[in-house]
This record gives sequence, structure tokens and C-alpha cells, in this order.
Amino acid sequence: MIISRREFLRHAGISAAVLPFLPAMPSLAAPGAKAQRIIFMFSPNGVVQPDFWPDEAGADFKLKRILAPLEPFKNRTLTLKGISNKVRGDGDGHMRGMSCLLTGIELFPGNIQGGSDRPAGWASGISIDQELKNFLQKNPATATRFGSLEVGINVPHRADPWTRWSYAGPNQPVAPVSDPYELFEKLYGEMKDGENLGSVLDEVSGELAALSKKLPADERAALEKHTTFVREMEREIQAGRANKLRFPAPKLEQGVPTDNDGMPKVSAMQSDLLVNAFANDLARVATFDFTNSVGQCRMRWLGIDEGHHGLSHEPDSNTAAQEKLVKINTWFCEQLAALAKKLDSIPEPGGSGTMLDNTTIIWTNELGKGNSHSHDNIPFVCVGGGLGLESGRALKYDNVPHNRLWLRIAQAFGHDLKTFGNKDLSSGGALAI
Amino acid sequence: MKGIAPKSAAYKAVVPLMKILAAILTGGALALSGLHAEEVRADDGAAIYKRLCADCHGGKGEGVAKKYDEPLFGERSLVSLAKYIDKTMPEDEPEKLDAAGSEAVARYIYGAFYSPEARARNHPPKHELARLTNRQFQESVADLIGSFRQSVAPGTGTGLKAEYFQSNGMNKKEKRIFEREDKVLDFDFAEGSPGEGIKPDQFSIAWNGSLLAQETGFYEFKIVTPNGARLYVNADFRSGDTNARDDSDAKRENTLIDAWVSSGDTVREETAKIFLLGGRAYSIRLDYFKYKDKRGSVRLEWKPPHGAWSLLRAPHITPVTVPRVAVITTPFPADDGSLGFERGTSISKEWHAATTTAAIEAANEVVSRLSRLGGPAKEAPDLAERLKDWAAVFAHRAFRRPLTPELREIYVNRVFTPDVAPEIGLKRSVIAVLKSPRFLYPEFTEGDDFATAARLALGMWDSLPDAALLAAAEKGELRTPEQVRAQAARMMNDPRTKAKLATFFNHWLGTGEADSLAKDAKAYPDFNAGIIADLRRSLDRFVEHVVWSEKSDYRELLLADYVFMNERLAKFYGAPAPEGGDFNPVKFEAGKHAGIFTHPFLLSLHSYSKSTSPIHRGVFLTRSIMGRMLKPPPQAIEFKDDRFDPSLTMREKVTEITNKTSCMSCHVTINPLGFALENFDAVGRFRTTDNSKPVNPVSDYITSDGDIVKLSGPRDIATHAAGNDSARRGFVRHLFQYTIKQAPAAFGPETLLNLDAQFANGFHIRNLYMESNIVAALPKQAKTSAKL
Repeated sequence: MIISRREFLRHAGISAAVLPFLPAMPSLAAPGAKAQRIIFMFSPNGVVQPDFWPDEAGADFKLKRILAPLEPFKNRTLTLKGISNKVRGDGDGHMRGMSCLLTGIELFPGNIQGGSDRPAGWASGISIDQELKNFLQKNPATATRFGSLEVGINVPHRADPWTRWSYAGPNQPVAPVSDPYELFEKLYGEMKDGENLGSVLDEVSGELAALSKKLPADERAALEKHTTFVREMEREIQAGRANKLRFPAPKLEQGVPTDNDGMPKVSAMQSDLLVNAFANDLARVATFDFTNSVGQCRMRWLGIDEGHHGLSHEPDSNTAAQEKLVKINTWFCEQLAALAKKLDSIPEPGGSGTMLDNTTIIWTNELGKGNSHSHDNIPFVCVGGGLGLESGRALKYDNVPHNRLWLRIAQAFGHDLKTFGNKDLSSGGALAI
Repeated sequence: MKGIAPKSAAYKAVVPLMKILAAILTGGALALSGLHAEEVRADDGAAIYKRLCADCHGGKGEGVAKKYDEPLFGERSLVSLAKYIDKTMPEDEPEKLDAAGSEAVARYIYGAFYSPEARARNHPPKHELARLTNRQFQESVADLIGSFRQSVAPGTGTGLKAEYFQSNGMNKKEKRIFEREDKVLDFDFAEGSPGEGIKPDQFSIAWNGSLLAQETGFYEFKIVTPNGARLYVNADFRSGDTNARDDSDAKRENTLIDAWVSSGDTVREETAKIFLLGGRAYSIRLDYFKYKDKRGSVRLEWKPPHGAWSLLRAPHITPVTVPRVAVITTPFPADDGSLGFERGTSISKEWHAATTTAAIEAANEVVSRLSRLGGPAKEAPDLAERLKDWAAVFAHRAFRRPLTPELREIYVNRVFTPDVAPEIGLKRSVIAVLKSPRFLYPEFTEGDDFATAARLALGMWDSLPDAALLAAAEKGELRTPEQVRAQAARMMNDPRTKAKLATFFNHWLGTGEADSLAKDAKAYPDFNAGIIADLRRSLDRFVEHVVWSEKSDYRELLLADYVFMNERLAKFYGAPAPEGGDFNPVKFEAGKHAGIFTHPFLLSLHSYSKSTSPIHRGVFLTRSIMGRMLKPPPQAIEFKDDRFDPSLTMREKVTEITNKTSCMSCHVTINPLGFALENFDAVGRFRTTDNSKPVNPVSDYITSDGDIVKLSGPRDIATHAAGNDSARRGFVRHLFQYTIKQAPAAFGPETLLNLDAQFANGFHIRNLYMESNIVAALPKQAKTSAKL
């Protein structure tokens, strides 16, 4: 079969090209260097505690209903009970639950009013994910194109202390990208632009040639020059194929709505994009947040029509509501398991084991328990081997501030912080895990 | 010859022009040799030339290497040329040629190759194949994408529509208490209420309308508030966005500034900038709320290009919200300005890369906002076909002519391949169209009515034909000068004409690149960024006032005895306060002021930091206003103030530094013009002394016709310029070249003279603009029959 040059460029040559004049795509991890990655996953409104925490402590434990989806990864799972968000001050429980979760520090006074307490503004310090990102980006061996990715699933399009938990510094909330198409554009837009461009350049040079012929010979210089540049760009795009990504960009289903009902699909798409970005070493730190603090998603796909936050206010005695909350949280856990599974299905690029062996996902929550708005016993569940912690255990602590957990995690990255967030709450140093 | 070191880039930029059009102003020597004067018959100029001049000047005045190698042409009148030859030629033996012989040879030289008309005839400038200039690219893309939106007139600059709400609970708008128009956004509610019926502890306000952007460039905005505020500029708003709850996520548009969350109990300042095209209106919206903060206040400031920070206020804001403008923000390499006007003749790799990035930017704009651009819904069953139709209309408008089936195949059908989603097909189609030579080289089209439409739109607006113009082309109604004039007259009233004419005047007066204007803080302590921004505005207002008045009289620009001033300027310049406080004409003492000659912005611009500069003023006036040519100084001499006797006046210093004969060949023209303005100091304030000595503004100026005019102040220059052919013709040439981006002679040797003759009757600037565009737009044979 004879295919035209145009067809060749369109179908074979260009389709995974990178434009060389655009910023370079990521360097691939040097063989032998062990990459460490971390994902902070958020879901709102607390959990049903008795159906969440294993009864046992130590290596011999059973996963309760909510955590059951983690069964395939049980030996790579670590549950940390007894850790509390002890940050107080301005802002209602939800605001502090969200904006003090990764920062471990008080909110500034402000104009955002919750259901109770004094109004407040943004967190007054950096969050642990951004702290780790800065730490990794400082070192050329661990620096990546983006450093960190802030991924959202149905996070409302507004900025306030209920929708932001990642902070680049005091008063500097970082917005998550909650639309998978936008995230795709951020990760691969330039590359796709190259593909789109490559597919039309040949038409352009054909037109230049055709039009050039209509000019008198002595007036063709400008168009000939122009044609040269088009050809050069085509060659550069072809040469750019050598720099192509180790893993091609995932194909996204088009037209998925990014609203409440689109959540299951968006969750899968966002986790595909995140895993793909990690596999291509575009970033090593991520946040992955479902909705927001006080999130009101209606999980109709589970047969639950009520909003999540509304349900979380129901008393323990409302067993129907508690049952629904178990289902909701089990769904979140399934998303965690799906993410872990994807990471586990890809051999570590340039390393050993799977990507999950080099990545830790920490699933946490703004509250311990919804109807009491308690900040005690906040869920902290780690899956994967990115931190090098001994896993396959259920650990119990006696009401320790979560600042100490973040110190331990920083330590796992070789970043020895003495305090993080509120200094007093850092007392005792990194938590022993 | 000596010269003064160029101060500004503008001065340098004109040098190549001078090289090409190297003119003998005074210094050139016409070498003659041989016969005695009495042997020559007075009427045989050609014979005289052949026998006496050609040896050094060449048979056709082209010059002879090692003898006199500069081509013989220039701007002297015939009378002046004859006088000059009689006085100086043959070289060292002027007595050999009498007045009659000189006149004969001058007449021959003038007609054969010396005069601009002869030169245009002998060396017709080619109509160069040109791509879109950067401005034309930006304007065209904005109008191309904008053509798919509804057009909304932005209204007048009276202020923003303001809605005041009582809140109930954190920023939940409970009830709209009142609506009004606010002229300026600067409110200090302190601990009180913003108005009757609203409780002081919690309320919210929404301001909506448009921003009128005058210049192209970056606009900065600043919100100052201890409360919550969000600013949107050039955003799209959802239909049905009722503003009922401002913490809802309905407002999907990205904010320019999000200062919604007050944090830390302080007054916060947040700034951001956005690139906008001048001469257009942009939607602007400020949402504000106070909730239990101690104090309430909000202020919105802006800093337009070349401007200083100031409150955003009427007349720059209107109460009508307009649709988004597709502004391409990709930076472009500068266009070729070597001939004194920007034109699209340089094709570089950087330009190619910039147009590529810009095409992708435009494609993203189209695809992401398709539903607002009349595109099909994503769920449409025949989505691909409908997107193809949309793309075909896009190509039609971009190429300025109907899309043939062959072109539809190339730019639409072949690009929508089955292996990609239809939206990607559309994206590729838009990129292909904007990368196409059919879009980028607008003149590169068949010589039909659509080509006429394309040229007219480009000349009038730097953009694409609108629907009415395309329709006229379709109906074959662009064939006669009258038909084209009818369209041009219609197009004159479009804001894009106003915008382009404003950029021409910035170019003509050299104010486009006046970013570095600053004065010595000790000598002029109050001459700050605010004054400079006001001065620019004052000049813009003046030019706009003259150009858009009924008479649109060029002479008014030269002779006006008033300056537009606001209160701040009036105070600085010791002038009477303007009526109404804002920019209005202020009259000075009779006889002292004269239009652009004494506009303080131009006087400041052509001055040093501590002192005046008669040379910079004189060079500017010679070239830009008097329409004369100057050779570049062959030797750059820096004007070092401390090298002079400290007791000298500026005039004395300049006289001393330019006193050599070689300098005076040009400075005989430059200096008198500069000296006549010595009564105005380095910031354009009137003075009577310089360095404790009385200012002497009097000197003799030699016109291009060789006449002597006594100048004793700006009004003398103005009166002379207003009646001077060379000055007027220079203006016609400047305007034509800037507007059309080609030399007038590229449209026939008589083009400039014809336009000038017409302009001399009434000096009507807008008519000149229109007629220039008609000449350039008409196809060739129609032009020759046009009565111009």
C-alpha cells in the first residue's frame, strides 16, 4: 500500500510527537535511583468509626467493612488510629478540619463563616505535600516537571477554606484541577498541540507551494522562506519523537460531565491521569481530593439520594443513615483500592517491583466522625511502599497530634524537620511508626 | 558633518529610511566642469547636464564612484535647486554657470530624476508581498472569533452598574436593596452601611459593565480591601447567573483577582495584569462582600499601558456588559520598521513560531468556548458534520472570500480524520486556517471584489472585512471609487477606525515608545508618573478632539491655542482649572501656545532630564512635522553639559557644538526650530530666562523652497507649517504609509500628489484617511479612472 506523506505524518509519524521548541518533557528516572512518591487522598465528613478501624492491633488484623476493598493490598496497608487534628482557633470544625489537615497550623481570622465558631480566612502555613514538593524539587535528582499535582474530583469551582487543603505558604491556597480534560491539557496539552500541528503543517506547505507558483519568480522569496520554516518545524516534530513519553497519554472518554453524577467516571479518569503522570515522572507528590469539606455529593449510583454531609449529621441511632455512610465510605475506599491497583500494575520504571512499591497513598479525612465533628481519630490509612514503613499492620496511638505524623513522613523522604505547622503540636517529634 | 548622539530608538529607526531616500538638503555638491557660462544656451538643460555635470553625477544622476557617489535626488523645490546650482556649481567654479543656465539645468534635473515624483516614476517602489503585521494578526483573530458572537455596543463611559444587597449569613445575598451607577470604585464604609436599608455588618455589592481599553498592552488591576472581592475582566458569564449567591460555584469563569477570603484582619492589596487590545470594550465585574469584618472598604485601581496607578473611573467604564474578546497573548517578534512604518515584510523563524503558538492559542479559545460561538452542542448526533460546517464558515471569514470546494477539502474535510474526536478535528482545522498563507498574506489573493474588500478592511481597521463588506464584494459593489467610498464612509464610524487612527498619531508624534520619559527629581520634583500619564492622555484627547471634530482640520493640530488638562495638570502648569475637573481644553495667554509644537508632553519628550534639547525638538519637527528629510549624522557627538562654559544658555551651547559648516548643513534647519521653543523648559512650562539670562527664541529658518522665515516663537513655526506644502505633503505621506503599509508610489507615481492636492482643499484628516484607503483598495484599472 502506498500512503501519502501526509497520511504517513498523520497516522504514523507524528502521533506521539513532542514539539522540541516547547519546554522539554520530563527526564526519565535514572536507572537505579529509587523514586519515592506520595499521594494524599481526601474524603469529607468523617467516617463511621466502628466500621472503619480494625479491632486488633499489630500485624494480625482484620479489615472492617469500609476498608474491605483493601484486602488485595492488606500486607501493604498500614492503619493509624489515635491521631488527632488538635489545631484550634478561628474557623468552624470543617474549615479547620480541611485547611489545618495538611498544614497543622491555625487559620487566619477572616470573613468566611461556618455553621459555628468565628469566621476565618486561609491557613497560616505551608502544607506537608507542598513542603515535600519543595524538598524534592530542590534536588536535581528528584526534581520533576511539575513537582506536585493537585487533583480534584468534583471539587466546587470556588476558593475558600472548605475547598482548599494544599497550601504553598501562608495565605497561598493551591487550587486542585478538578476537570480531567483540563488536567489532561496541563499534562499533555503541549504534546497534543504538537500532534495537531504536525497533522496540518503538510497542508500548509502544500498551499504555500501552490500559491507561490502564482507569483512572478522574483516575488517568491518571502513564501519560499516561509516554506523552509514550515519544513523545519515538521522535521523538528519528527525528531521530537525520540523524546516521547515512556507511557503514552491515556485516552479519555470524551464528554464526561464533571458534575455530581459524573463522579465515578471522573474518579477513574483522574486516577488514570495521576498514575500516568507518575509513571512518566512528571511529579512525585500529589493530592487527590474528593469534593470538599462539608461535601454534599449524592451517590445516586449507590442508590443514595441524600447529600453526604446531611447524612453525616444523623445520630448513631439512625442505623439506616449509618449504613448509607458506610456505603459511601466504602465507595471512597474502592477508589483508593483502584488507584493502588493501577499503581501496582505498572512495573517501577527503571527500578524494581511495581510503582505501588515506591508510592504511598495516605487516605485521610477532615473529621474523625461526622455527627460529632470530632477531630479525634481522624482516618489515616497508608497503602503502598513509598515511605519504606513496615506495613501490613494496624497501629494504635493515644490521641497524638497529627503534626507528628507529617514529621515522620517528611523523615521518610529524608527531610528532617524538627517541627511542622504549630510548634507546640510538634512536640515529641516524628511519630514512631 | 557633526550630529548629536541619538537619544531615542525612534531617532535610530529612521536612519535606514534616510539611506534609501538620501537627500541633498544643503551639503551636496553638484560638480560641474569645463565650459564657460556664456557658451550655454539657457533652454538646453539636458545638454548642459550632459556636458558639465554627468562626469561626476552620472548620466542619470545615479552618482559616480570616487567622484560624487550619492544619487542626485532630494526635496528642494525647482527654484531652490536652481538658486543652489547657481551659487555653488560647478564645484569651486560657480561663476561658470549663470542664473539662466542654472535654472535650465535645474529644470532638467528636477524633471528627469531629482524630484520625488521623478524618482517615483523612474524607480517605482514595488508593491511588496506582505504578511499580516502583528497588530493586523491580533486584530484579525479577535474579529474573526468575535464574528461568531453577538455584537453589543458598550455604551458610554458613565460608570458601572452597581447592585447593593443585604446579606443574610455569610455572603448570601438576601435582597437587592438598590441599584445605581457608580462612576468610581473607591468606597470606605468604615463601620457603617453602604446605603439606606442595608445593615452595616453584612452586605454585598456587584459592579458590572465594561472597560474601554484605549491602547494595546498590559492592563494591571489592583483590589484594595479588608473584605472579600473577586474581579473578572474579559470573562464570559453563564446565562442565568443571577448573582443570587456569590459563594456558589456557578461562576465558572476564572477570576483575574480572587480576593474572596479575607485573611489576617488586614487591608489586602492584590494585583494582576491582563493583555488587552486597544480600541475595544471588555466586560468587567467586581463582586464584593463584607461579613462581620470590623471595617468595610473596597477600591479598584488600574494601570493602563503607559499609565500610572489610578482609580478606575468614568469615562473608562460603562454600565453595559459586552461579550468576551478573543485576545491573542502570544508575543510576536517586532515587525520591520526600517522604513519608518511597520510592515509585514520580514519572514523569520521566530515569526513563524509565534504565529504557530498563536494559532494554537486561538484554536483553544474556539474549542473551549464553542457553545458561545454558535457551535453545536456536544451531544448533537451529527456533531462532526456540524463542526465541519462551523469550521468552513471560520475558513471563509479568515480567507476573506467564499470557500471553494477544493479549499473546503483541504482545510476542513481532510483535517477531520476519523481517528480523532470531532473537537480535535475542529482544533486542527482552526490551526490550519490560521497557519495558511491565505490568512497570513491577505493581499495574496485574486484581483477580484473580495481582494478589494480585504485591502479596505486591512487599511481601515488592520483587520478582516465585516459581514457588510463581504456582502458588498459578493454583490459586485466594490468596483467603482464611489462604491468603495460608500463602504469606507460606513467603516469610518467603527471604533476600529478610531483605534487605528489613534495608533497612527502615536506613531507620527513618536509617543508610542515614550516609556522612558523621566526628569531629574531635583530639577523637576513634581514631575511624577501621574503627571506623565496625564500628559499622554492630554495629547491623545487633543488629537482625538481635532480628528473627530466636524472639520477634522490638520491645521488645528498645529495652531490650537489650548491644551487639554485635568486639575492635576492645570496645577502643575499653572493654568486655569479646566471645566468639570476632567480633561478639557484650557486656554493659555494668547500667542504663546501652538498645538503640538507646545504640547508639554512632546516638549518634555524632546528634552533632556534637566534641560531642554533644541536639537531633539528641532529634529523631531524637521522630520515629522515639516516633512523634510535629514541625513543621519555621520558622526555621533554626545551632548555633555559639563563640557560647556557653565554660564552659557542652552541656545549658546547648541550654537557652539554645531557651528562647523558640515554640521550646519542640517542644523541650519534644525536649530531655528528648536530655538523658537526655548521659552519652554524641559517639562514644557513657559519660561523667560535660561541660566539666568533672557531666552532668545528668534532666528532665521530657511524653508525647503529656500525662503527665509523669521521665527520668534512657536506660533511662527505653526503659521509657517500650516501653509507649507512640504509639511502638508509629509503628513500625507506619513499617514498613507502607516495606514497602508506600503509606499504611496507603489500605487502609481502620482498617488501622493493626488492625495495631497485633495487634502490641500480643507485639510480634512478623516477624508485623507478615507481617500488613502480608497486608492489602496481599488483594483489597478479602477484607480486610474478614479478622480482624486
